[in-house]
Amino acid sequence: MATFNILHGHVESLVRGMRSSFLADADYHHLTQCETLDDVRLNLSETDYEDALADMNALIPTGLQKAAVDKLVTEFQFLRTQAIDPLAKFLDFITYEYMIENVMLLLKGTLSGRDINELIAQCHPLGMFKESTMRSIPTFESTPRGYQDLYQTVLVDTPVGPYFSMFLQETAGRGEVSNVLEEVEIEIIKSSLIKYWIEDFAKYVDSLGGETATIMGELLKVRADTNAINITLNSFGTPLNEPAMRASDRKRLYPALGHLYPAGTAMLADVGDEDELGRVLELFPQYSSIWNIHAAGSEGKSIDDAFYERDVQMLELAFEGQMHFASFYAYVKLKEQEIRNLVWISECILQSQKDEINKFVPVFSFNSGWRASSKKR
Amino acid sequence: MSYGTCQSSFCNQGWSDVLTHMSPYGYANFGIAFGLGLSVVGAAWGIWLTGSSLVGASVKAPRIISKNLISVIFCEATAIYGVIMAIILANKVKKPEEATSSLGDDWDYAGYYYAGYGMFSSGLSVGLTNIASGVSVGIAGSSCAVGDAQDSSLFVKILIVEIFASALGIFGIIVGIIQSNACTFPITALE
Repeated sequence: MATFNILHGHVESLVRGMRSSFLADADYHHLTQCETLDDVRLNLSETDYEDALADMNALIPTGLQKAAVDKLVTEFQFLRTQAIDPLAKFLDFITYEYMIENVMLLLKGTLSGRDINELIAQCHPLGMFKESTMRSIPTFESTPRGYQDLYQTVLVDTPVGPYFSMFLQETAGRGEVSNVLEEVEIEIIKSSLIKYWIEDFAKYVDSLGGETATIMGELLKVRADTNAINITLNSFGTPLNEPAMRASDRKRLYPALGHLYPAGTAMLADVGDEDELGRVLELFPQYSSIWNIHAAGSEGKSIDDAFYERDVQMLELAFEGQMHFASFYAYVKLKEQEIRNLVWISECILQSQKDEINKFVPVFSFNSGWRASSKKR
Repeated sequence: MSYGTCQSSFCNQGWSDVLTHMSPYGYANFGIAFGLGLSVVGAAWGIWLTGSSLVGASVKAPRIISKNLISVIFCEATAIYGVIMAIILANKVKKPEEATSSLGDDWDYAGYYYAGYGMFSSGLSVGLTNIASGVSVGIAGSSCAVGDAQDSSLFVKILIVEIFASALGIFGIIVGIIQSNACTFPITALE
C-alpha cells in the first residue's frame, strides 16, 4: 500500500479520474426521453462523448458504437503507454481476450466466405494484430493441418499463441488426433482459448498478490462461472449435448477455477437439459437467483441481462478499493456496458420501440437495485 | 575468537563496552541526524504518494489541484517538525569551556551521559513517529485527491482524516521536546 504509488499511482488515479466520464442517471433519463436520434446526439454532446461524435454527420447506432469503442480504445492505449510492469502486463492480459475474439471472428468469417476487409473492419480494435498478421489468418484452411500451420507461421509470435498451442496439444493428446479436430467447431475453439486465457490471467493475478489478487481473483472466478453456465446453456440442442460428448468435450471447456469448480463443473458436465441445469445451480446461492430470473422469464429479462446486472454490480465494487489493478479491468468492462446501453437506446429510438427503452443496465447508477436495497437496510 | 579469550587491554568486553565508550556528543548528534533525516524521509514519502495520485486525478478534474495542495502541505509539515526538533536539539549541544584530552573525576558524568542518550532517543522518537505520520498522511492524501476528483463534497471529510494522521507527528515532537528538556551538556567540572 505504501509502495504501490511508486509505479502505478499516476495511472491508477488516471483511471479513477476517467470514472467521472460515465453517463449519470440524469443523462440516461434525458436519453430515454429523446424522440429522434438527433436529440440523442444533442444530449450526448453535453457529456464526455462530445469529441467522439464531433465529426459525425448523421448519428446511427453502428456509427455511435464505433465512435464510442474508438474512444474507449484511445483511452485504453493512453493508459497502456503510461503503465509499466506489472500493470502493463495486466493491461495486456485484458487485450488478449479481444485478440482471441478477433482471430475467431476472422476464421469464422472466412468459413462463410466473407470479404477480408469487411471482417477486419468488424474486429475489436483492442485486439488488433499487425495488418499483415490480420490478413494472413484467414488464408489457412479450416483443417487440423491448417490450424497447425496457422499456429506455427502466424500465431506463434502473438501473445495468444501459447493458448492456441495448448489447445492444439490437448486435442492432439487425445488419441483421435485429426478426426476430432475437423469436427471441432470454431465456437469450441474459442471457448477453449478463452478458458486458457482466464486460467492464465488468474494465475498472473494470483502471482501479483495483495488487493489485486483478492478483488481481481473474485472477478475472474465469477467470469469463469458465467462462462461455464453459458457454455452449458448454449450446448443444448447441439452435438455437444450428446451424452458421449458431455464428459469428453464439454467438460473440457469449463475453466478450472471459480466458485463452481470443481464440484459444480463436475455436475454441470452431466446436465442434459435446462431443468437439470437449474437443479445444479440451485445448490449455489449466488447463481440460483440469476437462474430463477431466467427460469421465470419475467419482465422479459434474459439470463444475459441478469449476468450483466450482476457483473456491473461487482465491477462497480472493484472501484471502491484503492491501490489495486482490478479497477482497470472494471473500467474497460463498464465502458463496454455503457456502449451496449447507448446502442440499445439508440436502436430503440430508431425502431420506435419506446416501451423497451428502459431495459439497459446503467453504470454507477444510484437507482440500481442493489444500491437501493442497501440504502434501506 | 570467543568471548573472554582476549588478553589484550585494548579489547572490548562486548557490546555494552562499545556503546558506553561512544562519546555522548556522538549520541547527541546522531539523535539530531536521525530526527531530521527520518522526518524528511516521512515527508518525502507522503508527498510522493499524494503527488503521483494528484497528478493523475487532476487530468480529468483540473479543479482539484490547488485544493489538494493542502495534502502536500500536510506532508511538508512533517519535515518541518523534524527541522524544529533538530534546531532545539542542536542548540543543546555545547562544547566544554576548556578543551582537554581527558575529563577529570569531578566531571558530571551522569549529566553528560544523560544528555547524550536523552538527545539520541528524543531524535529517534521524532524521526520514527514522523515517518509513520508522513506515510499515513500520504496515503490519506492520495485517496483525498482521487475522491475529490469524483465528488468534491468528500474533500473536507478526508481532510479531517488527514489532520488526525498529521497529529501523529505532533505527538512525537511533544514527547521529543519533553525527553530532551533535562538534557544539558556540562560545560565545566562540578564545583
